[in-house]
Amino acid sequence: MTTCQECKNFFPLEEDPNRGDCVQRVKDPRQEYYQAKPVNADDDASSCSSFQKKQQ
Amino acid sequence: MAQTALKDTSVEEFEKKQEWWWAAEKKRSGRLDYLRKAIWKKGAIGGLYAPGVKTDLEQAVMTTNMAKSMEGSPDPYVIKSAKLFAHILDNKTIFITDHAQLVGYTGSLPNTMNWNPSIASILNAEVFNDPNAIPDPVDKNQEVIQEIVDYWAGRTDLDRMMPVFDMDDLMKMLSGSIGWGVPLARGGYSNKDYEYIMTGKRAFQDIIDELDKKLDEIDDAVHEPMANKEIAVMYDQLNNWEAMKIALEAGIRIARRYARLARIIAENFEEDPKRKEELLKIAAACEQVPAHPPRNLQESFQYDIFIQMMSRTEAIEGAWPCRPDYYHGPYYDKDVHIDKTLTKEEALDLVGEFLIRAAEVCQFKPKFAREGLQGIDGTWVWTMGGVDEKGKDACNDLTIAFMQAARLVRVANPTFAFRWHPQVKDEVMREVFECIRHGLGYPSIRNDPILISNAMHWHGHPIEEARLWVHQACMSPNPTTKHGYQPMRMANATANCAKIIEYVFTSGFDPVVNMQVGAETPDVSTFKDFEAFFDAWVLQMRTIFSILVRSVNRARLLAPTMTPRPFLSGLSERCIESGQDTCDPSIARGNAWITAFTWVENADSLAAVKKLVFDEGKYTLAELKDALAKNWNGYEDMRLDFVKNVPKWGNDDDYVDSIMLRCLDECAKFSKELKCPCGNNWPILPENVSGNIHYANIVGALPNGRRLGDALYDGGISPGPGLDKNGPTAVLKSCGKIDHVTQGRAFLLNQRLSPTQLADEKGFQLWKAYMRTWADLGLDHVQFNMVDDATLRSAQKDPEKYQEVIVRVAGYSAHFVDISRKTQDNIIQRTVQGLG
Repeated sequence: MTTCQECKNFFPLEEDPNRGDCVQRVKDPRQEYYQAKPVNADDDASSCSSFQKKQQ
Repeated sequence: MAQTALKDTSVEEFEKKQEWWWAAEKKRSGRLDYLRKAIWKKGAIGGLYAPGVKTDLEQAVMTTNMAKSMEGSPDPYVIKSAKLFAHILDNKTIFITDHAQLVGYTGSLPNTMNWNPSIASILNAEVFNDPNAIPDPVDKNQEVIQEIVDYWAGRTDLDRMMPVFDMDDLMKMLSGSIGWGVPLARGGYSNKDYEYIMTGKRAFQDIIDELDKKLDEIDDAVHEPMANKEIAVMYDQLNNWEAMKIALEAGIRIARRYARLARIIAENFEEDPKRKEELLKIAAACEQVPAHPPRNLQESFQYDIFIQMMSRTEAIEGAWPCRPDYYHGPYYDKDVHIDKTLTKEEALDLVGEFLIRAAEVCQFKPKFAREGLQGIDGTWVWTMGGVDEKGKDACNDLTIAFMQAARLVRVANPTFAFRWHPQVKDEVMREVFECIRHGLGYPSIRNDPILISNAMHWHGHPIEEARLWVHQACMSPNPTTKHGYQPMRMANATANCAKIIEYVFTSGFDPVVNMQVGAETPDVSTFKDFEAFFDAWVLQMRTIFSILVRSVNRARLLAPTMTPRPFLSGLSERCIESGQDTCDPSIARGNAWITAFTWVENADSLAAVKKLVFDEGKYTLAELKDALAKNWNGYEDMRLDFVKNVPKWGNDDDYVDSIMLRCLDECAKFSKELKCPCGNNWPILPENVSGNIHYANIVGALPNGRRLGDALYDGGISPGPGLDKNGPTAVLKSCGKIDHVTQGRAFLLNQRLSPTQLADEKGFQLWKAYMRTWADLGLDHVQFNMVDDATLRSAQKDPEKYQEVIVRVAGYSAHFVDISRKTQDNIIQRTVQGLG
């Protein structure tokens, strides 16, 4: 199973690497921004359309 | 406008043509221009949300899942409420917009409207039934919404409270005929104890430390070898303090989440060194506040935004009581004048962005609220100017910066209300005037000495506290002090006052909602003289006001246990001290008022009845009753007689003005008999927001010649549109006959002035002379539209070209293209007053 921690958008918390943020660049019709959503490192990312494999 | 035309035309040319919106676009910084255009317009247009603006399902789903998970928990309700609040702050999606220096939003994404499904099932049903606002894919999300709606049915605040209300009152109130809104502590207008939290003396961590001490002390106390009444109540204190702590700690955590995001962007994505530096400043600000007091202007604004955002996570807020120049002013002074860490231009960018952050705030609102507040999400009426607690002029350089920033970003919400007093310097008045002259419709002008006296008269606030007042909604002054601030004004004590006179003719039966709502006064045709007629009017007034006030009083008593607000309580000295909820009436002075929508029709209608029926005997009450029941159909000549041949309010005519005063006297007398749970009074406050349009199809024909469906008068004491024939001084003189201290809480007056006449220095002098008369006559409020008919008519014909034209609707401003045609016409019909 592909998990969030394998994605380059995943930024783990220093105090708890099992949790982190999925940070993405978004462009909507009026503005551009970065968004962050809390996720678990082992959350299933296999159907995530934003998944980008982290370079080792 | 095409970009080339915008580029080729100079600021001066635009200003000469009074196309202030294009001039502003050219004058503001690149950052402000980007951020201003980045706003998703959230105010409803004709009751509908704009395309692309969507209901936020993320928080609704989170709220529901968390509520489900806590069902079996033994936690007291207040602790569960705090945990729910914390869960949302810990898990919601956050974002940082490009070029932004301030962060924080009520929804998860910029185009979303926060939806809290735990407050009212009637709101949840509206979310389900508004497919335009449901995010894609609509079908799938409608299923998600259905699940949420089903879960909360019977569990929301309103659902739980309704069974313990007087059902008869509730039915009348919810019929929509006489009231507006619902009596809920998590749905209305929250003032805050700004003297406790915004003076730089403490912030969240200091309060948490204080709470820890309290919790330790009480934990010891309840385990002493003793048992008595004092100990019995300590368990409630324990729970309340614990809940406040949970909420404040969550507030610090979400700020740290923003700090982390800013650092991630700076360190991983951003290549521009200047922007990188800005992001690190954002991170530093969010690490500092709200945990600790702000150190500079950016942090002070950020602190305020966080507090407002969190308050809107806990409740639906319809207003934004605050005094930003007063509380942020010292930081402006420090940064710009003392430390010189900010240039005036940089500070102006921050001030403009602060306005933009507020302009984009939105929570999903029911349709009656959207119709009553066309074009805006709520009445963000920010208080400016005024005096300090010692009575000295409190205007500062930030007051001026706010006026200048408002002209650059030209948002319709927030608006300003300026506390005028005799010490205000000319330089400040000029800035205020420039905002009005640029067609913003704000600031409204408030008479500070009158309103300070008013706050003391009605609610017994000591003078030092009364001087620290802010607008709790559009109009009502409320101190920001320990016992003075009112945590929640429940909007349903908003009376559709035209029903008072209407019910005299129907013996209290409402033909629109088909139920007995008012008092069963005798058949109107049996009244032999005006006194009997007026007595019936008084009884209808007392009946309507009582129904609305009883509901609020009941809700206010239930609020501390049934709908607690741990976050808001955590910002309040009296709650930290006592361990009681912010809504507990036993620790507050109270600031209740009845908003009197559609008020002036009563004076004009009573004058018409007195003159044409009783004085001249031209018609009988039976004829008039029939004419009104038939909506004047078949009675057009008679109707015109009632319109044209009767004195109208606003012309300095004692015949009708004395009736207005008599009505207000009756209300003031009753206001002292009505009591809120704090033991204080219920004065009336005539104003309308867009209620004059919302109620057009709910109020039947009236004796002033109005037909069912016609717009009602626009202001609280404004003359009917076009009915003030004797010039601006006559309007002021009529309004000046009212005692603005003892006859009510405040009185809204709309006036239209000519932008051509007031174009230059001479115009400023004319306006100042007008304002002197206004002050001398003791009025408490006035606000102006200064956009000419030609522009407004062009905007009706070609709305795309006039997207940025702003008008004053009633207690708020809106973009002209965002309000209904009927409201637009109503504004154009208002008399343009020539001064001098």
